[in-house]
Amino acid sequence: MNLTGKRDKPQGFAPPGTALVETNTVMPRVQAPLRTLVLALTVMCYLAAIAIGAMLLINRAVEGWTSDIAGEITVQVREIEGADIEQELAKAATIINETSGILAIRVLSRGEGLGLLEPWLGKTAILDELPVPRLIAITVDRAAPPDLQTLRVKLAQSVKGAVLDTHRRWQGELTAMASTMRWLAGAVLLLISGCAVALVVFATRTALDANRDVLEVLYLVGARDRFIASQVERRFLTAGLRGGMAGTLAGLLTFALMSATGRFGAPSGLAEASSRLLFGPPETTYAAYLVFAIIPLVATVIALMTARWAVFRILRSIF
Amino acid sequence: MVRFENVGLRYGKGPEVLRDITFELEPGSFQFLTGPSGAGKTSLLRLLFLAMRPTRGLITLFGRDVATMSRSHMPDLRRRIGTVFQDFRLLDHLTTFENVALPLRVAGEKPESYRDNVLELLNWVGLADHANAYPPVLSGGEKQRAAIARAVVTRPELLLADEPTGNVDPALAMRLLRLFVELNRFGTTVLIATHDTHLIAQSTAQVMNLDKGVLTFKDGNGAS
Ligand SMILES: Nc1ncnc2c1ncn2[C@@H]1O[C@H](COP(=O)(O)OP(=O)(O)O)[C@@H](O)[C@H]1O
Ligand SMILES: [Mg+2]
Repeated sequence: MNLTGKRDKPQGFAPPGTALVETNTVMPRVQAPLRTLVLALTVMCYLAAIAIGAMLLINRAVEGWTSDIAGEITVQVREIEGADIEQELAKAATIINETSGILAIRVLSRGEGLGLLEPWLGKTAILDELPVPRLIAITVDRAAPPDLQTLRVKLAQSVKGAVLDTHRRWQGELTAMASTMRWLAGAVLLLISGCAVALVVFATRTALDANRDVLEVLYLVGARDRFIASQVERRFLTAGLRGGMAGTLAGLLTFALMSATGRFGAPSGLAEASSRLLFGPPETTYAAYLVFAIIPLVATVIALMTARWAVFRILRSIF
Repeated sequence: MVRFENVGLRYGKGPEVLRDITFELEPGSFQFLTGPSGAGKTSLLRLLFLAMRPTRGLITLFGRDVATMSRSHMPDLRRRIGTVFQDFRLLDHLTTFENVALPLRVAGEKPESYRDNVLELLNWVGLADHANAYPPVLSGGEKQRAAIARAVVTRPELLLADEPTGNVDPALAMRLLRLFVELNRFGTTVLIATHDTHLIAQSTAQVMNLDKGVLTFKDGNGAS
């Protein structure tokens, strides 16, 4: 460009290559609202990590319990007046043995049955006189389970006082609980996300308000909303990423600490479960790590998208 | 290029600071807007650089009715206008170089592409040594020159300058006036608001006089 035609002899002209100070953004004064936002996002992602971790623990636990229970069923045979219990037990055993999908069957002796009751009733002589039902423990082939309904009917028809206990009721309740917890965790995550969105909007508004004079100048020299959004966005992207990483790492650390408590002589199911969640072989832990890795990504996307949307909305409302 | 028809302006519920302003700026013209302080010069320019809308009347800018223009069209129009604000409006956190280059940066141009031009312009307004200085350490005159450089850096079709020589000595004022004249020769329409009668005397340009919100055409050169 030559605005001047014949130009005065350059005087103190900065030679090409002179280092120019570069300011990365034209929006100052966003640091304070962003610091607050990073802190808030850290806490939220921490909570999200805890909710997701707890969810995974519950899922694993329920999976474990339900598969254990499904692998083990029992037949109770009550003493009925006029029936020989040993004979009835033998009949039941025969029927069970004829059923396919059974791996093992063991008829518990009267003594073993009483042993199971002892923790509840104590070692009393009364027990000897009580008509305690006898138990048959059955190990089911989980790969090819037996038709339990048919077995139940057969036993009821042929054996006096026999009841098949598949523990299905417990299983059902556990699965129901697990699914309730899943919904709960989902709701918690949704609330956290909603809260994060609100906070990002708030931070965006604060940042824009603090830079109103700058925005005015930018508009007057021809800036579009898009340009201003791009100046703001980048800051929110890093804020989301930083808050997300910090919160998620803190969450992981919490589970690591919980699993460590097990090593200091405070054995608990939680410690063991946490340890299995994080420190097991890769094929069992990768899913957990994957889910945790998604948290900072989601936080970043929320921060970025919300800030962008908010900038456009706010700019349209004030200029 | 610019047309005002019976334009009136008031701030809030206050009195009309501009009344029945009617004039037209021909493309390529060079026009002074003069009048005592408080006459409404700055207010008139505000209407022109789209910082405000008139309370009544019609303003046409580059052939478009300002009143019906949508928000999304304003940046395009503003990029065709260079403005020297009376209060400079430099951004304190950007260097002088960055302030001058701001209209280019905002328009999405890459620093490599405008670096030399901006440095040359800074040199021309005597700010080459201050390229890395921040506005708060500049003197009033230096800020003024930076503001002027920012207004002309895109070589706008329309240049609006509000008291552009208010903070500089007569010699530099002449030099800046020459910059405006030069720009005008290359096709830019120039409107300078000033109460500096000495400056006006140096030029043969047309003069509009604003007093208490009423516009009159003072010069015999025949402003339309
Ligand atoms: N932002 C504003 N709000 C209210 N009144 C204003 C504002 N700006 C200017 N005025 C009033 O408008 C009148 C014209 O001011 P201005 O356009 O700045 O005149 P000039 O630039 O010719 O000195 C003055 O009476 C001034 O008080
Ligand atoms: Mg003024």
